[in-house]
Amino acid sequence: MGLGLASAALALLAAFAITSLVLLAAGDPVGDVWAQLLKWPEQRNWANIINNACTLYLSALAVAVGFRMNLFNIGVDGQYRVAAFTAAVVAGEAWLPGYLNTAFAIICAMAVGAVWAGIAGVLRASRGVSEVISTIMLNFIATYLVAYLLREAAVKEEGSNQIATKEIPEGSWIPGIPFGDFEIYGFVVIAILCGVAFWFVLNRTRFGFDLRATGQSSTAAIASGINVKRMTLGAMMISGAVAGLVGLPIIFGESHSYGSTFQSGLGFAGIAVALLGRNHPVGIALGALLFAYLDEQSNPLQILVGVSPQIVAITQGVIVLTVVISYELVRRYGLRLEQREVARALNAERTAKAEEVSA
Amino acid sequence: MRRTTKFAAVLAAGILALTACGSDDSNEPESGGDDTSSAAPTSDIKVGMAYDVGGRGDQSFNDSAAAGLDQAKEEGLVSDETQESEAEDGEAESAREERLRTFADAGYDPIIAVGFAYASSVGKVSEEYPDVHFAIIDDQSLADSANVASLVFAEEQGSFLVGAAAALKSKTGHIGFVGGVEVPLIGKFQAGYEAGAKAVNPDIKIDVTYLTQPPDFSGFGDPAKGKTAAQGMFDGGADVVYHAAGGSGGGVFEAASEAGEGNWAIGVDSDQYNTADPSVKDVILTSMLKNVNVAVYNYLKEVSSGTFPTGVNTYDLSVDGVGYSTSGGFVDDITDQLDDYKQQIIDGKITVPTEPAK
Amino acid sequence: MSTAPATAEPAASSSDLAVRLRGIGKRFPGVIANDDINIDVRRGTIHAIVGENGAGKSTLMKILYGVQAPDSGTIEVNGSEVNLHSPSDAIKVGVGMVFQHFMLADNLTVLENVVLGAEGLHGIGGKARAEIQRISDAYGLGIQPDRLVEELGVGARQRVEILKVLYRGARIIILDEPTAVLVPQEVDELFGNLRELKAEGLSVIFISHKLDEVLSVADEITVIRRGTTVRTVTDTAGVTARQLAELMVGSELPSPSTEASTVTDQVLLRVRDLSLPSDDGRPLLDSISFEIHRGEVLGIAGVEGNGQAELVESIMGMRPTARGLVEVDGVDFSARTTRERREDGIGYIPEDRHRHGLLLDSPLWENRMLGHQSRPPSVKHGLIDKGAARADTQRIIEEYDVRTPGPDVLARALSGGNQQKLIVGREMSSDPTLLIAAHPTRGVDVGAQAAIWQHIKDARRRGLAVLLISADLDELIGLSDRIEVILRGSFVGTFDPDDVTPERLGSAMTGAGEGK
Repeated sequence: MGLGLASAALALLAAFAITSLVLLAAGDPVGDVWAQLLKWPEQRNWANIINNACTLYLSALAVAVGFRMNLFNIGVDGQYRVAAFTAAVVAGEAWLPGYLNTAFAIICAMAVGAVWAGIAGVLRASRGVSEVISTIMLNFIATYLVAYLLREAAVKEEGSNQIATKEIPEGSWIPGIPFGDFEIYGFVVIAILCGVAFWFVLNRTRFGFDLRATGQSSTAAIASGINVKRMTLGAMMISGAVAGLVGLPIIFGESHSYGSTFQSGLGFAGIAVALLGRNHPVGIALGALLFAYLDEQSNPLQILVGVSPQIVAITQGVIVLTVVISYELVRRYGLRLEQREVARALNAERTAKAEEVSA
Repeated sequence: MRRTTKFAAVLAAGILALTACGSDDSNEPESGGDDTSSAAPTSDIKVGMAYDVGGRGDQSFNDSAAAGLDQAKEEGLVSDETQESEAEDGEAESAREERLRTFADAGYDPIIAVGFAYASSVGKVSEEYPDVHFAIIDDQSLADSANVASLVFAEEQGSFLVGAAAALKSKTGHIGFVGGVEVPLIGKFQAGYEAGAKAVNPDIKIDVTYLTQPPDFSGFGDPAKGKTAAQGMFDGGADVVYHAAGGSGGGVFEAASEAGEGNWAIGVDSDQYNTADPSVKDVILTSMLKNVNVAVYNYLKEVSSGTFPTGVNTYDLSVDGVGYSTSGGFVDDITDQLDDYKQQIIDGKITVPTEPAK
Repeated sequence: MSTAPATAEPAASSSDLAVRLRGIGKRFPGVIANDDINIDVRRGTIHAIVGENGAGKSTLMKILYGVQAPDSGTIEVNGSEVNLHSPSDAIKVGVGMVFQHFMLADNLTVLENVVLGAEGLHGIGGKARAEIQRISDAYGLGIQPDRLVEELGVGARQRVEILKVLYRGARIIILDEPTAVLVPQEVDELFGNLRELKAEGLSVIFISHKLDEVLSVADEITVIRRGTTVRTVTDTAGVTARQLAELMVGSELPSPSTEASTVTDQVLLRVRDLSLPSDDGRPLLDSISFEIHRGEVLGIAGVEGNGQAELVESIMGMRPTARGLVEVDGVDFSARTTRERREDGIGYIPEDRHRHGLLLDSPLWENRMLGHQSRPPSVKHGLIDKGAARADTQRIIEEYDVRTPGPDVLARALSGGNQQKLIVGREMSSDPTLLIAAHPTRGVDVGAQAAIWQHIKDARRRGLAVLLISADLDELIGLSDRIEVILRGSFVGTFDPDDVTPERLGSAMTGAGEGK
């Protein structure tokens, strides 16, 4: 919709201005920074951006499932690490051949993610424990659990100080998709399918309607016959299952094992991206690409321009804030427009009636 | 802002050093192909320095590497156009790779990767850029690469000596170890420390604790956590605590200081008697020296002489890559015994384990 | 428009006027809330403002209290024009407001509640306590500063609210529907307090739609209809409640008169021993039993908060702790979920349409699905049929005269009456056998009210059984075939609407009729 675009443009413009002010205040070369930030990335960088966006996208989808139901799943971070570790171990053991092994590992990851998130769902539904608190706690537990299990399951490579799970057999890797001279994760396809499924389930199924209705007004949901507790558990588990996919592009497309330097913090980035994308699958995709794009600029900014990479984090934060604010402004404006339209329709009718009366 | 001012300061220091060197002809760099007409001793070796999380200013591991680079710059072994970049916590593998590639594309050679987290990135990027030279610290999984030098340390040997010192100084027969993050690298510190202490006193009691678990690497930069952990040990009767916890060590020193007379802490990586807060330096018995600066400097010196080292370069007791510090004079009475252990290790009479006993 | 112009510009010298409003206008998207409002409130009087729900009374008071700014018109307080941008501006010129819903912190004492936010006036200690005591004594409020608010009854809480306003220096006090939450004895006490205030020279603006109360306490009455002042009555002795009511609705009262009885002998809803325990031991519903036949409307009368909402929600299956039998058409519903009950023939018009009836930020066609998401035409095989849902929404819009440009408008954009018509249309469209209608015409304009009544009557004629809850006794008497009075969770009396007056119902509702 036109208003949506206006909101995004407004937000980016504001973010541009605010970031420039921050740079000025820090005494950094504003021009050089923007020249670098706005330089069209090379093909290799685009491949990185798409790959990063892929994981961010899945993470944000997982968060968005909860958001749509007014559940704040902070725990995507823990869920994806537990799940990615599980997938790496399962696929590494290779009980099944080839892609069966891959599929089985993916299912295991989703199941583990769902169960991990489901704990918070059960606590919320049965005891009314805020999912914010419980998922934060579960994140901690996930960290230590995975650290412990990793030490147990790790195979140590000679001469390396890293530890990682057993490498997945090559036949179970998910091949990359050629992208010019480079490759992007094959998992990108799965991520896109997840986005389509997200949209379809939310907008075209009764379950999705129930979920959105519960998110908008749990009281109205109860009155309409929705079992809110079951929806809470269901939404948490779906969120967790999607979170279970977050680390898999890396596991099956790049590292082929889960090690001590496995990327962390994706769950929290996902929250920002979900906010940025307004919980809409296409918006989230754009948000994920934008975040990945900015992440990709972190190294050149430091090495070529000589400014702190924190400027990237600041920019990301500023963008999320401005998007949230501008979306709210535009939403209110839109509502006012609509109400005015209703009023016009109403007034036209009144006038017509008044004319009838006077005639 | 912090970064830019610091960068400016380094630059200024570099320029000063340059002019200073200019009058010192004896220190002419040996590197060939120097066709600049500048009076100052210059080098066209542009070093790319990729730090681990924390970067320059972490008062620990990264700073030690930076000191080696600074020394090489001061002496004109390398160009002042070196550039530095640091990792972010929990970043993607591709971010580490891109950091190395960005250096390589911008003409930096050699590129030094500080920390074992770079192992697979260096492995991958060194293949993509066969003409660029890489060095990696704390990792030797790339020993066979033609353009990678692995700079590793025998942390367990240095830790053995401070472990022995701890046992010799302990009156309670009870000592402690605080590890930053439970990774195999820190396990080497623990293993050596325990072996050294037990060599002195087989019945010694050793408390061991790690502050965080990967991927939470905050244990290397959280003094509050370090203090709590060490306090627990001192309260439990330990009177010497060794930390291998980077920036968290400051808290360990504080805990030792508050525990009162007769309680000691042992520093790590650099001589922390000289770098720690003055109010706590009197409790720093000794420090296990892991001379990353020496390794970086030696590497750059060799590079400036025209040869790029490859393979594994181990910095152990025999080359003073690790050791113990004597600043403060608290271990003066036992240096004979410690040096005796040192000699036995160098001679191979004692083999120090690299993994803690389970 | 065809309404008569406001009569008799209230003429008074501005010197003895506490408040003078001229030409106040306020437009909300979709609604003209206020249009050319003119009111004079004389000092030392109780001035009532009456009007139907939705006539614009609350908006007007929010304007006078600085919560909302008027689009046009002027406000004069004590003879000088003021611009109120916030409640604190209003307080500065001596205007205070007591809201219908109390804003008190239960776990604080009266003293703490009163000084909260006004710590600068008399501190928070002995001086403040003395001041509270002084005000309480001066106006006969009977307030003990150190009691916890949670220990106080509704009437006392209201007096605390009034004291809060006086403490802040208000000389003009607005009360928004103050009697809605009170039982008759408390109403009398309140009126006593208001007369004390008046005697001390304060001015009271009293908003209500309960005409008998207004006539008993007010010195002057201004009637508002459709956002504009219709008339100000200065001689309250010469006017009857019926005349006021006709002024309020602008024409002869539409009467929800019953038609010939359509009650059959087939029991449709049978409720036996329905109980709902509460945390504090006193049951919210105490062993309620009744039946509704096909074609019968059972009205429930009661002062708000005596178990009406709980009764409805228990029958709907929304209260998991409810005990007892609910049988619809001979089938035991007691163990069924809310959705099953809805699917099997219960239509539900909830009391609070914003909380229970609508998704305000969703389009109308999605609201059409709410509560019906398991049934055609909206949903087939678990998938949403957007086309069919929109088409059926369009049908409701036309049949129920919902004023909207189309089914894609957000529910929030509609006025309350149109929202309610959509809900009624939605609940009727699944051909329910039992309709539970809680306050079906609350906040709805007169035209829509008549339409909704007609829909209920039509459905009744087709054999629908209706459980009607309403605070509007005329509505209850006009629509019901039988009226039960609910008091503290029990049915305390059955009335035949043909020979009952609102007065008799009223006394039964408050327990005064007990034992008769």
